[in-house]
Amino acid sequence: MQTMSRKAAAIGFGPFDLKTWGPLLALIGLMVLGTALNTSFLSEGNISNILTRSAFIGIIAVGATFVITAGGIDLSVGAMAAVISGVMIISMNALMNVFDSASLIIACGILLSLALGLLAGAFNGLVTTKGKIEAFIVTLGTMGIFRSLVTYFADGGTLSLDFTIRGAYRPFYYGDILGIPVPVIVFAVVAAIGWVILNRTAFGRHCRAIGSNEAVARYSAVQVNRVKTLTYIVQGLCVSLATIIYVPRLGSASSSTGVLWELEAIAAVIIGGTVLKGGSGRIGGTVIGAIMLTMIGNILNLTDLISNYLNGAVQGVIIIVAVWLQRGGWKNKGQ
Amino acid sequence: MKMTGKFLGLAAAFAMSLAGPALAADKVKIGVSIPSATHGWAGGLNYHANVAVDRMEELYPNIDMILVTASDASAQANDLEDLVSVHNVDALVILPFESEPLTDPVRMVKESGAFITVVDRGLSQDGIEDLYVAGNNPELGRVSAEFIKEKLGNKGDIVVLRGIPTVIDEERVDAFMAGIEGTDIKVLDMKHANWNRDDGFEVMQDFLSRFPKIDAVWAQDDDIAIGVIEAVKQAGREDELFILGGAGMKDIIKRVMDGDRLVPADVLYPPAMIATAIELTTLNYVSNAPVTGRFILGAPLVTPENAANYYFPDSPF
Amino acid sequence: MSELRTGIAGGGGQAVAGPAPSNAPAQYRQPVLSARHISKSFGDIQVLFGIDFDVLPGEVHALIGENGAGKSTLMKILSGYHQPTSGKLHLDAQEVILPPDGQAEDLGVVLIHQEFNLAEQLSVEENIFLGRELRRGWFIDHSAMRRQTEELLAHLNVDMAPDATVASLSVSQKQFVEIARALSRKARVLIMDEPTAVLTPDETSAFFEQIRLMRERGVGVVLISHKLDEVKELANRVTVLRDGHQIITTDADELTEDDMARHMVGRDLSDMFPPKNEPDFDAPLVLEVDGLSVGTALRDVSFNLRKGEILGFAGLIGSGRSALFEAIIGLRQRTGGITRLNGETVEMTALDQARDRGIAYLTKDRKGQGLLLNDGLKVNLTLFALRQFSNKGLIDDTLEDAALERAIRRFDIRVRDRSVPVGALSGGNQQKLLLGKVLEIDPNILIVDEPTRGIDVGTKQQIYNFIAALAAEGKSIVLISSEMPEIIGMSHRVAVMRSGRLTGILQGEEIEEHEIMRYATGLKSQGTADATGGTNTHADHVA
Repeated sequence: MQTMSRKAAAIGFGPFDLKTWGPLLALIGLMVLGTALNTSFLSEGNISNILTRSAFIGIIAVGATFVITAGGIDLSVGAMAAVISGVMIISMNALMNVFDSASLIIACGILLSLALGLLAGAFNGLVTTKGKIEAFIVTLGTMGIFRSLVTYFADGGTLSLDFTIRGAYRPFYYGDILGIPVPVIVFAVVAAIGWVILNRTAFGRHCRAIGSNEAVARYSAVQVNRVKTLTYIVQGLCVSLATIIYVPRLGSASSSTGVLWELEAIAAVIIGGTVLKGGSGRIGGTVIGAIMLTMIGNILNLTDLISNYLNGAVQGVIIIVAVWLQRGGWKNKGQ
Repeated sequence: MKMTGKFLGLAAAFAMSLAGPALAADKVKIGVSIPSATHGWAGGLNYHANVAVDRMEELYPNIDMILVTASDASAQANDLEDLVSVHNVDALVILPFESEPLTDPVRMVKESGAFITVVDRGLSQDGIEDLYVAGNNPELGRVSAEFIKEKLGNKGDIVVLRGIPTVIDEERVDAFMAGIEGTDIKVLDMKHANWNRDDGFEVMQDFLSRFPKIDAVWAQDDDIAIGVIEAVKQAGREDELFILGGAGMKDIIKRVMDGDRLVPADVLYPPAMIATAIELTTLNYVSNAPVTGRFILGAPLVTPENAANYYFPDSPF
Repeated sequence: MSELRTGIAGGGGQAVAGPAPSNAPAQYRQPVLSARHISKSFGDIQVLFGIDFDVLPGEVHALIGENGAGKSTLMKILSGYHQPTSGKLHLDAQEVILPPDGQAEDLGVVLIHQEFNLAEQLSVEENIFLGRELRRGWFIDHSAMRRQTEELLAHLNVDMAPDATVASLSVSQKQFVEIARALSRKARVLIMDEPTAVLTPDETSAFFEQIRLMRERGVGVVLISHKLDEVKELANRVTVLRDGHQIITTDADELTEDDMARHMVGRDLSDMFPPKNEPDFDAPLVLEVDGLSVGTALRDVSFNLRKGEILGFAGLIGSGRSALFEAIIGLRQRTGGITRLNGETVEMTALDQARDRGIAYLTKDRKGQGLLLNDGLKVNLTLFALRQFSNKGLIDDTLEDAALERAIRRFDIRVRDRSVPVGALSGGNQQKLLLGKVLEIDPNILIVDEPTRGIDVGTKQQIYNFIAALAAEGKSIVLISSEMPEIIGMSHRVAVMRSGRLTGILQGEEIEEHEIMRYATGLKSQGTADATGGTNTHADHVA
């Protein structure tokens, strides 16, 4: 038995590791499919669209990688994005009576967004750890709270950013640096920082230890509650960053903003090879997972071969195949 | 606004129970049941319902309105039971979540002797409602087709963004397709954008990278249209095409009013129809003539000339 | 092949009694289960070489050997969890291929794992009948199952409620549930993997009664154990494995414990324990604990620890020894008492505070609290002292690699591939890695809790040597152990606990098995009514 698991493990840790390469293979497969269906798939504009769009889910999913690696889950991120967007818009509109400078107002909006993300994450984390309530329940609760708060703030309608600020704020989504869209740059920077934190710092190592076995972490002098709370704060800050680049896109927020983002973020994390029950996290995989999810929608829009009514089915099949690629091979060889 | 509505309803119920049976017996109680404000159009619905309820109660002291909102079909069915058993309403104005599951609950209200007004979505059985007030989905499709035909001179390439796959969406699109039949207008493709801004933005981005030439976009809905506008601006193709939405959102009406070239018109499907229904139902009790039958609102075209009539800056929608 | 009985043959084995009566002399009895020339390879690694092994009805056949000798693999082949690479199994003299995944239970061959296979949230009764619930029509027949469970438990002379959830039971009670389950399956061969490793002496003797009872009923028992005295007491025959080879199979009467140990390690183990090197009489006190209490679990415990001293903590399981030290290092909330480190009063409310003051704790639960079984050696080794491996906030890979290199050499950790998850290591290697992990902080005080549980004789001796060497360097050691020879052989002084109280501290000639047991069982106690005035009576006694 010991010898056997040793052998299985050797494959898992070996040079061709399906958990690492599986998501990338799936992504390449998807790109081949996209190109076959429509040659404009590979056009610069379309690739730029895909990367820009995947930035929201991607940035949130980088945060979710921390939460899930540490054995938690956060279902509130979509609603959190909506309520932060809403509060940002209301506040920035109100600040127009205080400041003349649009850039000052935008700076205030961004700081407010980060503060709100931090607070919301801290709330999720503290109630989970200090209150000893399952993260699933806590964040299901805050999901409802955040979602109805934005509905309440918007009177059920849509909150719109004032046009004068919108003009100044637009470059945060539509702008580019050296030809690369701003959201893509933010996404790349967040992912790179996330990778370093998860793989190269004590905090990241502690996240993995807690997700792997909380008791072992505790007996190894890891401050379990503190680290877990911090993962939710990281998640909250990632939601803030996603919101900061989301608001200038359409300049509005409503109760339908960010619906199901939490599931897309979790799906991106799992497609990327992170284990849902914790203990092993892969930021690189998460980035690929987020791009894949966006790409599926994009490919479906680029073709009329498949009935619109079957979009969900196609997405579902591709998600399952992607995860199967990553685990199926692993399992067969392990036996 | 929604909260206020609920609060008013509760307060009214409270006041009644305190006022005693003698006074209560003199008052006509009208229950209003609508979906809660979970998207833009429903937000407008709630706004107009609240305004109408306040105005009617102020105008007619012997009318007592109870406004309830529900987040799904089964919650709405529960609301109906409460309206009958707790409030004992004389009349019901309802915008059903879905036709099928609410047909029976409404019939139960009818059997308690109440006057029934159904708004927007018909029940799946005839003869239950006394009054039917609705927007006209096929008419919205037809008017949209007429406008696009005229504007394009019966010739051109268009893309269509559809709503959530439902009967409403089907009716609009079928009538639209019938409207452009026999012309040289070619529909390049149709995709669902789910009456949602973000989806409208993304679907339109993809249409733009797929089709080098688009003459017009039928977005069918103003939330979708907002997303489409931003996508077109991002691609810098504002001069090539125009966009036609639908419903009558204030932002879009404002653009029409200001003569925005990208959005030359809008087709109305007003959430204010709930106000019409409430007013007509009230009229049934305060005037001598009974008000029954079907009352189908048109789907008028909003142009820069008449836009001011449809602009409600205070509405959330 | 057609005569081969497979799992599909089903419960046929249950009803069949051995062809000869079980009380016949051994040489006339036919083995109920026998293995001939069993070899086993995993990939290109051969782990068993031509083993012959059988078990007769009504005997206890002990299987002993060091960790990694191949006991577990043989045991899994005998119970169908593995198939041999070559060789044959016979059940009642008929060739048989045992079905996998425990289905051999239907043929009367039951393996009780060291880690129990019980559904923690289900009741005793539900566990006993799990997978073969009695039914009446479509429904589960609760009353019949309840009746049979009560009979079984009464039969085993165990006081346990059939509807208690397994999670609420003690380790030994869980073991009785496993045995009851085996009995309910009409086991004819019972294979047990280190059944007494987690039992107290009382529980162990009750357990022996069960084994003797089953032997009288004609069940063939295969017993895997590291405790040679138990093997001597219980077994009829003994087989010793070493490095996958069968060294000897003989009657237990013909081997002494020393013989067994010699066969196991292949050399003499004359001095198990290193010589004691007592600290100076006036060596400074590094740790003083005064009147420590934790609710009702621990009451008013006082003791002290000198520089360079090994202080043993003896007592029955559940006497509060682990809880005491968890309270001292901040893993458990205390309700009273003072801790002084080097004469200075300190309050530690979390383990990282204890760590930063140079205290390390080696848990007794290696797999549950000690190691991340799915992670590699490096991650485990550095987790406790991670800050030492950080450079400007980032973990330095080369420092970690160097630490692993050092630990592998220092603690003689034997591993072919350093990237394997530690769950794949043998128990002894895991324990050495765990010791390396807590020693990474270079502690002044090391608390080791059951440091040799479930590991082989050779590794035990290595660990004793490490501990003695640390003490000689001037580190202070607390040794919590339930193994009496270990406590007696290693400790300079021995503290004995009973029911959350410290009943005595023994030194010199007093350190002797019977004396320790008298304190552990409450027959004897030092001091009167345990220090009501908070005076440091035990410390006084020592000083």
